[in-house]
Amino acid sequence: MTRTLANLATVSALALSVALGAGAAQAKDFLLGSELPLTGSLARVGQGMHEGISVAVEMANRNYAGRHSFKVQTIDDETSPAKGVAAVEKLAGDGVVAITGGYGSNIIGPASEAAQKAGLVYITSGGVSPELTQRGYPTFFRINNTDGYALAMIGMLQDMGAKKVSIVYLNKDATSSLAKQVNSALTAKGVTVGMHEFDGSTSDFKPLMNKVKLQDRPDVIAMVGYENDYVGILRAAKVLKPQVKAMVGVWSLATAQMAKEFPDLMENVYGTSMLPYPVEFTQPEAVEFAATYKTLFNKDPDYLGQFGYVQTRLLIDAVVRADEAGTLSKGGLADELRKTDANTLIGRVTFDRNGDNLNFTHRMGQHQGGKVVLVWPKDAANGTMNFPSVPW
Amino acid sequence: MFELTLQALFSGLLAGGYYATVAVGLALVFGTMRVINLAHGELVLLAAYVAYAAETNYGVNPAMAIPVALVIVGTASALVYALLSRIKQDREINSLILTFGLGIILTNAILSIWKADIHSTSDPWFQDSMVVADTLFAMNAEVASFAGGLVLMAGVWWWLNHSWQGRAVRALSSNRAAATLMGVNPRKIEILSFLIAALLATFAGFAIYTGKTVFPALGHVLTVKAFIITVLAGMGSIPGVLIGAVMIGVIESLTVTYLSASLQELAGMILFLVVLFVSPSGLFGGGRALAR
Amino acid sequence: MNRILLIAALVAAYVGVPLLFGGNAYVLGLIVAALTIAGVAVAWALLGNLGGMVSFGHAAFFGVGSYTSAVLAMKLGVPVFAAMLLGGVGAAVSSIAMLPALRLRGPYFALAILAYAHIFQILATEMTPVTGGAGGLLSIPRFPKVLGLDFGEKLGGYLIVLTIVVLAALAYDAIRRSTWGLALKAMHDTEVATRVVGVPSTHLKAAMLVLSAFITGLVGAFNAHFISFLDPDYAFSSGWTVLPIAAAIFGGYRTVWGPVVGALSIYLVDQLLFKPILPHGHQMILGVLLCAMILFSPGGLMPALRRRPVKENRHAHA
Repeated sequence: MTRTLANLATVSALALSVALGAGAAQAKDFLLGSELPLTGSLARVGQGMHEGISVAVEMANRNYAGRHSFKVQTIDDETSPAKGVAAVEKLAGDGVVAITGGYGSNIIGPASEAAQKAGLVYITSGGVSPELTQRGYPTFFRINNTDGYALAMIGMLQDMGAKKVSIVYLNKDATSSLAKQVNSALTAKGVTVGMHEFDGSTSDFKPLMNKVKLQDRPDVIAMVGYENDYVGILRAAKVLKPQVKAMVGVWSLATAQMAKEFPDLMENVYGTSMLPYPVEFTQPEAVEFAATYKTLFNKDPDYLGQFGYVQTRLLIDAVVRADEAGTLSKGGLADELRKTDANTLIGRVTFDRNGDNLNFTHRMGQHQGGKVVLVWPKDAANGTMNFPSVPW
Repeated sequence: MFELTLQALFSGLLAGGYYATVAVGLALVFGTMRVINLAHGELVLLAAYVAYAAETNYGVNPAMAIPVALVIVGTASALVYALLSRIKQDREINSLILTFGLGIILTNAILSIWKADIHSTSDPWFQDSMVVADTLFAMNAEVASFAGGLVLMAGVWWWLNHSWQGRAVRALSSNRAAATLMGVNPRKIEILSFLIAALLATFAGFAIYTGKTVFPALGHVLTVKAFIITVLAGMGSIPGVLIGAVMIGVIESLTVTYLSASLQELAGMILFLVVLFVSPSGLFGGGRALAR
Repeated sequence: MNRILLIAALVAAYVGVPLLFGGNAYVLGLIVAALTIAGVAVAWALLGNLGGMVSFGHAAFFGVGSYTSAVLAMKLGVPVFAAMLLGGVGAAVSSIAMLPALRLRGPYFALAILAYAHIFQILATEMTPVTGGAGGLLSIPRFPKVLGLDFGEKLGGYLIVLTIVVLAALAYDAIRRSTWGLALKAMHDTEVATRVVGVPSTHLKAAMLVLSAFITGLVGAFNAHFISFLDPDYAFSSGWTVLPIAAAIFGGYRTVWGPVVGALSIYLVDQLLFKPILPHGHQMILGVLLCAMILFSPGGLMPALRRRPVKENRHAHA
């Protein structure tokens, strides 16, 4: 009798501990780290990415409710490389599972190096410069790169049949490497290219635009810079009215924000854009993304939010997979992330040996009547190009 | 080639107009109180954002909002003066740091209220082009700012030289003790110069909002530019500010046209240094810049 | 400064800090950043007090020192410690280009140095084959292992920058107390009179400029190898001019150790205390602190801290 009781007790104790243990292994709280520029000159883009990351965490908490929960700890790197490194070190000390964020190749470089030293995965969409993936860090991942932007611009310019192109570009790292890449690709195809580098302090682009208008006489003017550069260039072009068939830019141009702020300036201007505006999401994940974004921030998502969302979403999925495989605490997250092959808002994403997403090809959108219509490549287009056309 | 040069000169002239309107307020205060207001750029920016708020929230043509901006910027300017006048020792360097601190506060306040996006006027009149003799192009906003700035500067210059208060200002900066003995109330005159500086800053802010783009970090950039032009012009010379500003504008413009746009700022800086070495008290200063 | 206090502080710095924070890379990193600012602040105060020249462009020396050291180490294979010293020398050499500016007074000189800073920054951006252009230099060699201690690690870096700052402050103090210091102080008051007496004022001022440049360049070179990254915007950032000035003023720029105390206070309090509480507004607090300091204790923190002992003495006599 005592033995049966003892056996029963042991068995129930075992069963209880297994139940508890299994339950404990299942319901986990994961802490993610995020370092990005919330103040300083990159404050605007950092904020945008931060919003996307928050949406991903919110959606993950909904989708994994009852099983896992996710939190993200965000530290402002104040647009400074040294503070980016400090942020990563603080997050590592606080025991985050991985880091998502980062904007600006000059900050991401040192910050991801610090993450590598701490053995933490660092995933970003804000560092497109080639050097970042040439360091051989197994913990570094990115979902976009300069190539993707360049290929989109080059592809569309070729489809337009432009014979002479003038590239006006900012002398910062990301913008000048993109400009040079476009230059060599176009020149190789027999296109005459005029290169014009300008300094960030330029606010009056008329002398530069006049040079382009009178000396280069191009078919298309390509602009590579940031928002205030685009506005300055387009204003100068509107005044001088060069005889061109199209004005083409890259990031931060074909956005809802620009359409709202500067409607007269943007008409018929081209820029890279993942999604059209107004966004008409059809896919269920995309619909949920847009709705969550609207609820949290009371506005429509832009490209920064989209990228921030995708990078974090992929990270979270990998974290869950690694946890279920039991490799998370043993440094298996990087390998798990590398197994990613997902169809996301920005297209197919896989990571190569260097953490780069070679599938990344951007799309070109055009401002048409206050909307942004995708016009290139043909299979992603939801409208036709207004060509030749300019904002004046 | 000829067309290029002409346009470059024209653009440089207009750019100089912008620089001058931003710099004149700083130069006035520097000339009268020997104080460098490092928050001046932020005052200009404040005016620009008031214009932005008026246009977006009330759909008002920016020009209509100038009175409101005058009140706001004027109050801010008076506040700066009130704090500055409490400094007793080591005036030069302490006022530098104080105004620098105030600049940081203003910039961050603007950042938290209006966020980091860039803004500019959406009123089409300002952006329309004006063509002179078929070869010279400019935005309406630029020409309007230049003309307005010129009128304002001429007014200030006339006031300094021909009105009682203006002469009191010059007397105060020349010899404070003597001026006080002659019946000049230093505090009143100093507040007056700060208020006039606020008027100039407001106009400059509107000029920038209509012709260029504004964002929070611009305040610091404007202050540095204004400071450089003030020093270039030489202490206490309003026409000097205009001439110095136009010189820099034209050199930048010509560099863009004939060399490379990326060397634009380099050209301006080198010009600044060359002028200083040749004429250490600036273009029109009174020879007081040499070490004692 | 009181000898005993100084020795106690040095012991705390060289022994106490490594013991307390050795394992915390984050806090140690912040202290190193604060000391980097402190180094430039000491150099700036030296130029201001001994040389009588306020400079708004110390970022120029910082950047030139950083690039010189990084390029020497990366392109010519110079060992890192030597490259760092040569970085300081490079900055000192660049200050020779600024000698014509010594004729200028007050704000004219300050701005001239600022113009130089902008010029060097643009040169760094354009001279791509040498400086890596706008992209800068990634993976700059770190400090090597010496006698078993890896100076490339946080703790090693801390010891290096601490030594630089201490040596700079001691040098500053030594000059101040020497006959040269006396001459410089006299010059500060009236240059014409000192010249009449036979003091080579221009040479002395030039020497102070070169020394200030050397120290700043040395610190800049250290930073390049510590962060292992450099680009024109970072190397010549106005932060390297502005923060040291704020630190020096805050701590008391007429004293030798004031700039160091100021740098540590401002940086650490901002990053450790204010930033977590007010992630968006903490820079504004810096502005408020600066204004408050100027209005209530223009001499800075050190004199404010010293005021109390004086009061006690008075009571003792009563």
